[in-house]
Amino acid sequence: MLELINIHKAFKNNAVLKGVNIKVKKGDVVVILGPSGSGKTTLLRCINFLERADKGEIIFDDLHVNINNASSSEISKIRKKTAFVFQNFNLFNNKTALENVTEGLIVARKVPKAEAIEIARKALSKVGLSNRENYYPSMLSGGQQQRVAIARAIAVNPDVILFDEPTSALDPELTGEVLSVMKQLAREGITMVVVTHEMSFARDVANHIVFMDGGIIIEEGPPEEIFLNPREERTKQFLSRILPPVENYAI
Amino acid sequence: MRPFKPLFILEVFFDLLPFLPVTLLILAGSVFFSSLLGLILARAKIAGRKISRLLSNTYIAVMRCTPPIVLLFIVYYGLPELLFSTIGVDINSIEKGIFVLVTFSLLFGATMSEIMRSAYESIDKGQREAAVSIGLSPFQAFYRIVLPQAVAVALPNFSNLLINLMKDGSLAFTIGLIDIMGKGSLIISENFGSYALETYIALALIYWGLTLMIERSFNMLEKSLSKGKKSIAG
Amino acid sequence: MELNIEYMIDTFFLALTGVPATLSITAVALLVSAPIAFFMAISKIYNIKIIKQVVTGYVSFIRGTPIVLQILIIYSLLPSLFNAIVKNMGWNINIFDMNPIIYAYIVFSLNTCAGLSEIFRSALLTVNKGQLEAALSIGMSPVQAYIRIIIPQALVSAIPNVCNLTINLIKGTSLAFMMTVKEVTAIAKIEASYGYNYIESYLDILFIYIILCSIIQLLFALVEKHFVSYRAFSGSAAKAI
Repeated sequence: MLELINIHKAFKNNAVLKGVNIKVKKGDVVVILGPSGSGKTTLLRCINFLERADKGEIIFDDLHVNINNASSSEISKIRKKTAFVFQNFNLFNNKTALENVTEGLIVARKVPKAEAIEIARKALSKVGLSNRENYYPSMLSGGQQQRVAIARAIAVNPDVILFDEPTSALDPELTGEVLSVMKQLAREGITMVVVTHEMSFARDVANHIVFMDGGIIIEEGPPEEIFLNPREERTKQFLSRILPPVENYAI
Repeated sequence: MRPFKPLFILEVFFDLLPFLPVTLLILAGSVFFSSLLGLILARAKIAGRKISRLLSNTYIAVMRCTPPIVLLFIVYYGLPELLFSTIGVDINSIEKGIFVLVTFSLLFGATMSEIMRSAYESIDKGQREAAVSIGLSPFQAFYRIVLPQAVAVALPNFSNLLINLMKDGSLAFTIGLIDIMGKGSLIISENFGSYALETYIALALIYWGLTLMIERSFNMLEKSLSKGKKSIAG
Repeated sequence: MELNIEYMIDTFFLALTGVPATLSITAVALLVSAPIAFFMAISKIYNIKIIKQVVTGYVSFIRGTPIVLQILIIYSLLPSLFNAIVKNMGWNINIFDMNPIIYAYIVFSLNTCAGLSEIFRSALLTVNKGQLEAALSIGMSPVQAYIRIIIPQALVSAIPNVCNLTINLIKGTSLAFMMTVKEVTAIAKIEASYGYNYIESYLDILFIYIILCSIIQLLFALVEKHFVSYRAFSGSAAKAI
């Protein structure tokens, strides 16, 4: 469904992505792991053109885009097929929770207001925040804000949802509520690409792990393979630092 | 010492008030045009090429150092000359108010642009990113999400600008504009210089009153914009 | 548009002779106001009953009225007031011979007090209360605590605003010619009236003010650098609105 081919991106003189290829099938839950600076967030942001890659191609269903000469209408089409959940939520401060969720529907997709509100309410109830629809972001906790952000993402019915470290900015006791929403979405078959450090999520929910370091993909495969039997040395090093040493893994 | 007649302050009030609309009209016009100029300058500084940024910065720096009365005289004496010698248009007979408008639009356009720029830059870039990530066009993202928040941030500074613009605008009488200050001057010369103090005090009270009204209105405006948005969950 | 360059150069140097007057008004206003403004700020912060009301009203009036009116009020009030006092005391002084710059000193000091007190007040409020508590608890008197701990820290946030105020003060002195003070604007205006070279004169004035203003900004930037050396945060005098 979604394929990125030979993505290159450099900031000033710093090459952050050095030829990355990634394939996402419908229903996949892809988790991208890697040390900081490995380029994983940049890769994610290149998908919906929050960053503009220097070189490469994006194939999205029947859309074939060459990044070099991507037109603004092609970019807009891609953005309408995707949704992004940010590390620091980025809820629209001047709009209520409900308005945050309806904004993309009403303004970008010309959905009539009544219909949009209905869709938004369904999305908010799915993340468990129906009773907060008239609250402004400043009145919500971090976990609540992130859940509204997820509702905002699912309301526009994207082909794939991109998550950029969705729980990194949350207090530990709030990460659970967000992760369980994400697990629920995965169970329903929503295609997700997630950059995260939450290893439990990667192990239990993902069906494909991608390990990046230094701007390239070092290794990828199903979780059992990556976590139990990593082939590459760098993967092993990374995992040994992140995971506590365990003898036995029951999945 | 020449007698001081407090009652005159009250009397002269009623002679001055009919000219208040002139003062306010100049104020409104200056706000409008300086906002336009401010937009141009701010845009140049935020998104422009190097040369636009340089020009914008230089303009703002020069205006910052320019005393209003000096600029007023330069515009009043210089603009007709300039226009006459370059495009042959004689504007010596136009309303004095135009010169005042030009002067204060030029002057406060600089301040406006700094207010706009700093308000815009204070809005987290993530707001724009979130907006485009759900499909809004860059213009929609700016107009519906960033701009409303920037305006709220700019309000206190804008109210300051408004007050300063009104106060500096009081210099218009020096080129003969008959607003409340101009009328005050006329009254004083009609009375051969007596009761000058009373007239000035009346004028000061009018300006003070206007300032207080502006401050109060903006306070209410700020409060109503942030109603319901106070942070409860810390 | 013909500009008489020779005239401009001559007038420029002539107008420069007004700079000392301009600078002296600025300096006197700042120096005289500083201690008064400080106490005004303190009275507001510590809520000293009646003084606070008076201060609040005073500041509101000064900041709510154009400086030109303040000048005109003082100039129409004081000379005859002083004259009446002098006559009453039987002194043999001719008030009207007095250098009008004294009136300028008075007006601009009164004006600067108000603005400066607000700057000091907000600067003092930025200093963490804990600093004062810590100073007192190691035995410093309140005065020592203020001088050695609070004020130096408050200065850092005050400097950009004081720079702004100073620039506005210098611009304000351009109106002192209304009191027949021989500062920059006055001299250039007089020159202009001889040959109707208004534009050249006023352009000269503009240049002088730009130069003065730039020097002030530079000075403040240097002062700020010195004070910021111990602090991670940095404001910028040149960027204050």
